[in-house]
Amino acid sequence: MFYRRAGIRHTRYQDERQLFPLGFDRFLILSVLALLIAAPFLLDRFYLAGYLIPWLIWTSAALGLNLLMGGAGQIHLGYGAVMAIGAYTSVHLVRAGVPLEFAMIAGGLMSASIGIVFGAAALRVKGIYLAMATLAMQYIVDFVISQTPAISGGSLATIQVPPVSFLGISLRGDTETYYFALFVCFLIALFMLNVGRTSFGRALAAVREKDYAAQILGVSVFKYKLLAFWVSSFIGGVVGSVLAVCYLRAISPDQFHIELSIQLLAMVIVGGLGSVLGPFFGAALILFAPIVLNNLTGLVATSFGLAIPIDLRAHIPLIAYGALVIGFLLYEPLGLAKIYSNLRNYMLVWPFRHAQR
Amino acid sequence: MAVNRRIFVSGTAATLAAPALIPSHAFGQDKVIRFTMAQDFTRIYTFVTSEYSQGQRDYFTLINERGGVNGHRIQADVADHANDLPRAIEAYERGKREGAVLCDPLSTPVARALVPRALEDKINLITAFSGRSDAADGSAFPYVLPLSINYWTQAGLIVDHFAKVAGGSLRGKKIVFVHIDTPFGKEPLPILQVLAQRQGFELVTFPYTPPGNDQAAIWPQVRRARPDFVMFWGAGVGQTVAMTEAIRNGLPMDRVSSSVWMSESDMEVVGKAAAKGVMKVEPCASGRDPKPIKDILAEVVAKGKGAGPEAKIGTAYYNYGVQMASLMVEGVRKAFEKSPNGPITGAWLNEGLRSISNFTAEGMLPPTTVTKEDHQGGGQGRISQWDGTKFVPITGWFTANQDVVWGEVKKYSEEFRRTGK
Repeated sequence: MFYRRAGIRHTRYQDERQLFPLGFDRFLILSVLALLIAAPFLLDRFYLAGYLIPWLIWTSAALGLNLLMGGAGQIHLGYGAVMAIGAYTSVHLVRAGVPLEFAMIAGGLMSASIGIVFGAAALRVKGIYLAMATLAMQYIVDFVISQTPAISGGSLATIQVPPVSFLGISLRGDTETYYFALFVCFLIALFMLNVGRTSFGRALAAVREKDYAAQILGVSVFKYKLLAFWVSSFIGGVVGSVLAVCYLRAISPDQFHIELSIQLLAMVIVGGLGSVLGPFFGAALILFAPIVLNNLTGLVATSFGLAIPIDLRAHIPLIAYGALVIGFLLYEPLGLAKIYSNLRNYMLVWPFRHAQR
Repeated sequence: MAVNRRIFVSGTAATLAAPALIPSHAFGQDKVIRFTMAQDFTRIYTFVTSEYSQGQRDYFTLINERGGVNGHRIQADVADHANDLPRAIEAYERGKREGAVLCDPLSTPVARALVPRALEDKINLITAFSGRSDAADGSAFPYVLPLSINYWTQAGLIVDHFAKVAGGSLRGKKIVFVHIDTPFGKEPLPILQVLAQRQGFELVTFPYTPPGNDQAAIWPQVRRARPDFVMFWGAGVGQTVAMTEAIRNGLPMDRVSSSVWMSESDMEVVGKAAAKGVMKVEPCASGRDPKPIKDILAEVVAKGKGAGPEAKIGTAYYNYGVQMASLMVEGVRKAFEKSPNGPITGAWLNEGLRSISNFTAEGMLPPTTVTKEDHQGGGQGRISQWDGTKFVPITGWFTANQDVVWGEVKKYSEEFRRTGK
């Protein structure tokens, strides 16, 4: 009914090649985009600064990681360090007077060139061993940043981000930073959507499924593994600088520790490996489930006058959050994006139950 | 009923959507001053926070039971931010929307991220024993208030006390500084280096890798260096491990001192008798003797309104909580003195907090005077020593080496002023 399809039929090649072949999908995506663009006028500043901005930034980062993990099948446990390199490079450049537009790109390039060095490990090792190699990157980068006062910023180890502007718009208020984060997230999502239908994306998929089979088919594993690390680290570096400028506003080494890497990994896995929609759902769940559960516990405690000790009150949401993540992995191992896809498949031919695809 | 995928997904969606749908309780009382106390109960600070928060809430209950300040109740919204920035910023923004005029995150990373926001939104950010040490400079950070001695001052106090123990001069002595290898652990280094040069003692530093649960390689080296005095700088597990290793290596514990981060709970881990003699910096009196603690026991806990286990009352971190809460309440009192009719805003409370003068909370605190320039409150503390059962003060309230501390404060606050705006 909504999709007006009983099975997908295309009569022209152009139709099939579109990003969103179905009219209803296009309508849906444009309405969500319109809502996001209108958000600063519809929502209180609290929702903008407390929810939407972090959601967009973390989603962008998870998208970059998903290119590597879901797209090329290479595990990365040091993505927080990749973002740190981008953040520190761009903030130092901005402080030296370089415009943000260039500093962001430079941050991305720096992350990419360091990320590819550690990515080179992927040429020799796989799976759990690659996880260890990237974990080493996390700790080495952490160590270098916090042990070099010139990078970390002296004995307080905090560097302030000076006021910046992007394409002539000053990024001071929440609305401006929100649009900036939305713009970057939009670009990255668009890129990720398109990667799937390029030769690059197909080569990555081949490498993901079986690297030596890909090599036999004529896909250069050497080239595409490094390229996957390069592109993903570049995105990570750019998002790192967005995170620093839009959200943190003062950077210190502890903001980019292993916790951030694990958080992003969880977003990608819970959201759905290899999906573009997945990181959006994954970031929302991982970032906001603890907040919402915390508020819910608080609400229940105050509404029913329960005298729960604060220690317990702080830990109940953690228990629920852990159960939630396990539950999602148990009931839908393919991630949150798959839940949406199930729903969509059902609605595709609704009210009928079955249709030829 | 077997849980299948559909039930799990729809059940979760309903639970997560519930808080948005249930209207939150609008509190009827208009005479309320709200503080946002989102702190880390679950990740790094854990038991420190729960004792600190218990002290704060008990003190607020005490004040509210007595009728509040000028008829206004103090409401502390306690939540857990787990040292996680998105959660902390959400809590801060929530507090701001609900009209909170003060925020106390008790976390260095969170305080760092909140500094630019608090300065912009004019919300008082309390950064006791956390956050940027240069926030002592009130002229650069009008809305960031440590209200307590920072780590630079603590290092200065310890060195000054060492000099007294050594008979007036540290010339030719050797001080070993064992610290966690993080920005927090390295923070006192510039102060110690200047003092070493000025007072002619030799400074030897030993960093250990975070989180510091294995320091076995460090302490034999400390022993071999034959130090006259030892300072150890860490937090959480690193502190107890450091003490255990110091005892194992036979260092004279009455020549060993720590920052404010040492409590009775640590002593239970180390062994109460073995740790005898070790010193720490006290920002306020510990134990149950100070008047505010006695009042809390009589007026709050006796009525069954205590916020947590009674055994924790009077422990070091509990008293830090009472110390900070009493300073906040004193700030509210001063703000009412200045402009009795409000309106109650961050700027209004800021005026009050920055005019606290010679406040001692009936003898519990060193005389604390906060001015528009000095947010540290005068930089007074004292050294106390573990006697096997409790911490006993061995000096009066004093301050020392503030010229060095302020040199460092100004260096960083100037830098912040230049680039932060």
